[in-house]
Amino acid sequence: MSGLSFTLRGLWYFRASYLGVLAGAALGAMVLLGAMMAGDSVNQTLRQVATARLGKVDAVLAGGDRFFRSALADDLTTKNAAATVAPVFIVKASVTAQRSGRALGNVQVVGVDGRFWHLGPSGTLHEDSADGIDAPQERKFFVNECLARSLDLLTNGNLISNQTLVLRFDKPGMIARDAPLAGKAAEVIALSGNVDRVCDDAQFGRFSLETTQMPQATVFVPLERLQQALGLAGKANLLLLKAHQGESHAHMLEKITHSCTLADYGLTVEEVPLANAVEIRSSRIFFDRKVAEAIQQHFPAAQPVVTYMANSIASNGKSIPYSMVTAVDTTAAPFLPDDKKNGVVLNAWAADDLAAKPGDELSLTYYALDGANRLVERSSRLMLAAVVPLTGLAADPRWMPDFPGVASAEKTADWDAGVPIDMKRIRDKDEAYWNAHRGTPKLFIPLKTGRELFANRWGEFTALRLPAAVASKDRVTTGLLEALDPAVAGLTLQDVGAQAGAAAGSPVEFAGLLIGMSLFLIAAAVALTAMLFRFHIEQRNRESGLLAALGVAPGKILRWRLLEGLCVVALGSGIGTLLAVGYTRLLLGILETIWGGAGGQRWLNFHVEANTLVGGLTGFVCLMMLVIWLVTRKQARQSASMRLEAGNEEVTRPNPQRVPWWALGYAAGGIAALGGSGLLGEAGGFFLGGCLFLSAGLAVYQWVLRRRVAAAMVRELTPQRLAELNCARRGTRSLVVVGSLASGVFLVVAVAAFHKHDGDAWQQRESGAGGFAWWVETTRAMTRGNTHPEADDVLDLGDARGRFGRVLPLRIGPGDDASCFNLNSVIRPRLLATDVAVLANLGAFPIKKVLPGCAKSWDCLRGGRALRAFVDETTLLWVLKKNLGDLLIYHDEWGHEFPVELAGMLDGTVFQGSLVVDEAGLLQHYPSADGPRLFLLENAAGSAVPDRADLQRALADEGATVTSTRDRLAAFNSVENTYLAIFHLLGGLGVLVGSAGLGLLTARNLHARRYEFSILHTLGVPAAVTRRVVFGEAAQIIRWGLGIGVLAALVAILPNLSGGSITQSLGWIALLVALIAANAFGWAWLGYRRQLRHTLGATQEPTPQ
Amino acid sequence: MTRIEVAGLVKIYETPGEALRVLDGLDFDVAAGEAVAIVGPSGSGKTTLLNLLGALDRPSSGSIRIGGEDIGGLTATAAAGFRNRSLGFVFQQHHLLPQLSVLENVLVPRLAGNWQEPAAATESRARELLDKVGLNHRLSHLPWQLSGGEKLRTGVARALLNRPRLLLADEPTGLLDQAATDQVADLLLQLNRDEAVTLIVVTHNAALARRIGRTFELAQGKLKEVAR
Repeated sequence: MSGLSFTLRGLWYFRASYLGVLAGAALGAMVLLGAMMAGDSVNQTLRQVATARLGKVDAVLAGGDRFFRSALADDLTTKNAAATVAPVFIVKASVTAQRSGRALGNVQVVGVDGRFWHLGPSGTLHEDSADGIDAPQERKFFVNECLARSLDLLTNGNLISNQTLVLRFDKPGMIARDAPLAGKAAEVIALSGNVDRVCDDAQFGRFSLETTQMPQATVFVPLERLQQALGLAGKANLLLLKAHQGESHAHMLEKITHSCTLADYGLTVEEVPLANAVEIRSSRIFFDRKVAEAIQQHFPAAQPVVTYMANSIASNGKSIPYSMVTAVDTTAAPFLPDDKKNGVVLNAWAADDLAAKPGDELSLTYYALDGANRLVERSSRLMLAAVVPLTGLAADPRWMPDFPGVASAEKTADWDAGVPIDMKRIRDKDEAYWNAHRGTPKLFIPLKTGRELFANRWGEFTALRLPAAVASKDRVTTGLLEALDPAVAGLTLQDVGAQAGAAAGSPVEFAGLLIGMSLFLIAAAVALTAMLFRFHIEQRNRESGLLAALGVAPGKILRWRLLEGLCVVALGSGIGTLLAVGYTRLLLGILETIWGGAGGQRWLNFHVEANTLVGGLTGFVCLMMLVIWLVTRKQARQSASMRLEAGNEEVTRPNPQRVPWWALGYAAGGIAALGGSGLLGEAGGFFLGGCLFLSAGLAVYQWVLRRRVAAAMVRELTPQRLAELNCARRGTRSLVVVGSLASGVFLVVAVAAFHKHDGDAWQQRESGAGGFAWWVETTRAMTRGNTHPEADDVLDLGDARGRFGRVLPLRIGPGDDASCFNLNSVIRPRLLATDVAVLANLGAFPIKKVLPGCAKSWDCLRGGRALRAFVDETTLLWVLKKNLGDLLIYHDEWGHEFPVELAGMLDGTVFQGSLVVDEAGLLQHYPSADGPRLFLLENAAGSAVPDRADLQRALADEGATVTSTRDRLAAFNSVENTYLAIFHLLGGLGVLVGSAGLGLLTARNLHARRYEFSILHTLGVPAAVTRRVVFGEAAQIIRWGLGIGVLAALVAILPNLSGGSITQSLGWIALLVALIAANAFGWAWLGYRRQLRHTLGATQEPTPQ
Repeated sequence: MTRIEVAGLVKIYETPGEALRVLDGLDFDVAAGEAVAIVGPSGSGKTTLLNLLGALDRPSSGSIRIGGEDIGGLTATAAAGFRNRSLGFVFQQHHLLPQLSVLENVLVPRLAGNWQEPAAATESRARELLDKVGLNHRLSHLPWQLSGGEKLRTGVARALLNRPRLLLADEPTGLLDQAATDQVADLLLQLNRDEAVTLIVVTHNAALARRIGRTFELAQGKLKEVAR
């Protein structure tokens, strides 16, 4: 018989005794591996979603509101710059299904041709290519499953035939709609077509550049049809690229740069015969500053020109309405007198009209932007230096750029300049001037003055002119292509493949989070398992003593015991691994309730990595073995004689003096952890503090137990006293069960206190809703709502406006939704920009913390060298995992990096998932940013509370999505509450484990002391007294377990609780504690019942065999 | 042949609040092959003395030399090796392992390793010993199937497997009836005579002590030889 066969024999013989150990190991392994598998599943699903979202696309050339030739894709293909290139036009639209009348806002409309589908996950739209269709044709649309479900286009999963969709979207301007002279404030285009196909994920139906696992409702439209509808034939705003194998991003960018033409940069070069010059114009009217700088650097002789519309030019009591004014230096306008001494020059027509002569003062009024998008009329006084005849270059209408809505107007009545124009002011002679001279400037001013007056965030110049003597048109064209690159022109090449790969890991590391949540349960399972193992070892104390007496070395006995333990733990862990599959699915099911799938489908796919399985299993077995070694080692250290004598008694020696210092140390550590939550994070502080308080409580309990042993002789023996002594007699067992119970109670109570309650607090300014009632996101940017300050109807609510109070518009900048609804790792949260002075004046939203040196106010966002942002606490801590003062790097409109400083933390607001910045700051980096598309609305005081549906209807044309701020906060809270529910579930399991431990302990103690109880019985002690002893022990353990758990929880959570939330939580906590106590007593009773018969039947002291 | 020399042997147990001096400076010698009985009231420290002689415990002070080897200074592993090589234990409660058969229980000392004898030879010796104690018909039985006397005899066979130089028996007949007691006493004394094993028996049984011959009485921590 070898040591191994001896061990295996022991395993088999004591199999019933090992069942508890097996079950504990299985539970612990299930919980640990389940958490890890859930993490794997979430991460794998995110990777799958990223693949479905981007297919084979490695990079995109994004123009945003800039348009380039869709033929650029052909050029790149010809030059073999990428393996596959597809031009795409993306716009946001609201979509209505004609049959059902259902509508959906913020739908992604993607104009595509056949090349798009080659970049999909499967590389083809259809599996068999039999139908030969590779893109929507003519008046057909393809939609994705998300849209199909949202608009009820499916029946039993199949597309209902003859479904017509009407898409409504803004015609994109060449320049931001809120720029002065940008043309119509809005031009809504409607496009209808029949749904021909529903694209699934494999068919690229999930295509989206937004880093989110949530599918975006999408309609695929023939590219040409969309281009025509938009009036942008041959244009695209997105190029999807699949790189050649091993090709670098930089190399691809170089090839793109070589393929770009001026049209891609939105520039044209024209000869201006009257000026004997070559003029460079921008389709965006105003040259981007970086483009202008690059051109001027390449062509130092380039002369800037700014032409702008004045509302009036007045002098001598007379006024000319709506005239073009050109700011230019004499180099580009030789007809201007050299000695005008910074004065201005009128053409003869205007001078006659105003009866003005050199030396007269002119008053110039014009529209300018005040702040972000409010048009204000400004005026300037100028001195007339000269008058030039309306001939030659002075009479050249080409000075005026192609202002949208103006340049092409046949008559002034047709002007749609995008600024308020009082047509009544336009006289016949003005009309005649327009007919004869179009936009020929009436006033020429020095370039310097023009830049001061008319420069805006989109640029300063409307043209750059080069003398023909310096460069021909062809040379200018060539030179421009050398001087510019896509980034300068605002076309950014984004490595979306790498970004998606990086993002396809949850910011909340689910494995870690769930393990963290399960820690107490795992600890309870491990402790219980170790306790059961120790029971078993104690049961075999005499065997060990005998082996030692017979000369088996202590180390060898320990190894045999550990080998037995390893076999049981390995088997239990194996069973636990199998159970973990089901447990993981349960967890995934709970997690899916947070994020939901399209149409309520399951979308989190079960997945486990081999590394996880092997690592988790090995780690757990090692952990278990470590704990088993610790408890076994202690026994193995005892002398053989003591083990022979002790039988199944615990052979530890009391040492009552040392423990209180430990308790004090733990408690001090707990206080330090709570105090240092700034360093550890609140969650870290709470956990560490809680653990230390629990340890302190357990240390006190251990000390009390040892004191009892020491004081055994000095008190009268009563059933209660006997119960106390019994607890102390096997102190470690009692400690383990109290510890398990306390851990579970701690978790359950603490988590209950953190439960978020939805109340009416949103009405308060200092609440997470800031006192605003509605969160409205529109599909179209609302650009000119503030043109008339008195109207204050930015949302065009019309008659319904009176039912609402203040409207706070916010621009939506770049970035992804980083709220708890996005499972991806978001590096750059969406920027939301508003006039923070408004929020500062209102004192709206709870600002929890700001950078040192900053006032705790929204005004903080207006300081600092970097763009400052406030971020919601949840986003800061859980998604970004950053601290205040950290910088996030964003890319501006031209692809250049700039930092955003996290300057303050908001406490549970509707802004979760975004960074809130000052509007002016945002526009410095994104001058072309769309107008506001997000609005916070108050209900009007004293007015009937508006209904969400009413507001939704009123804003239907804007493709608005209306959410009450209360619902938005509740949705965020529900995520946290779901996490808490998981926590609760695990804590509850911990309590069950602890309670089961109590039941086992009761049964075990009864079994071990059956002789003792039989003697009492024989001596005539009534069963009731025996019961009092047994349940006295259980009661004591429950009291200590509950007491330590509740106290530790309350101390740990008190700093995080406001008065309101603790009041709401206390009732629930009291109920939970009562249930836990009842449950624990139930288990003790079960243990008592199970062992009762054997106990009272025993008449002889058990002797070892 | 093993001589036992005990000098100034003290054993103190530390308990909360007091130090219990169980053995208080014992001095005695036992010649090789001699049989000695140790008697005394309960709690007088008989088993403690036996545990110290068997290197199951360490003295608080003093020395124990067995065959010239000071066993008080042995490490736990060395003490185990010493027991496995040189000692045999017979316990009142026999401590048979419930999962093993009678034959396997006798073979347990072999589990310690470093057993010089081939396995087959050891098993053959185990069978011989069981035959000697009258249990050759019980080889494959499990302990619960044996009577008290049979269990004890199995324990004796186990104690002899390693051909010990010193056999220590702790109340070997404490749980047996008179017939079984006589049987066990015969067996132990026969071993002492035939195999020249030094025998030390702790017992309450005056008749057994008388049969053994040289007797020490342990009382209040002191040992004195009882005159015959």
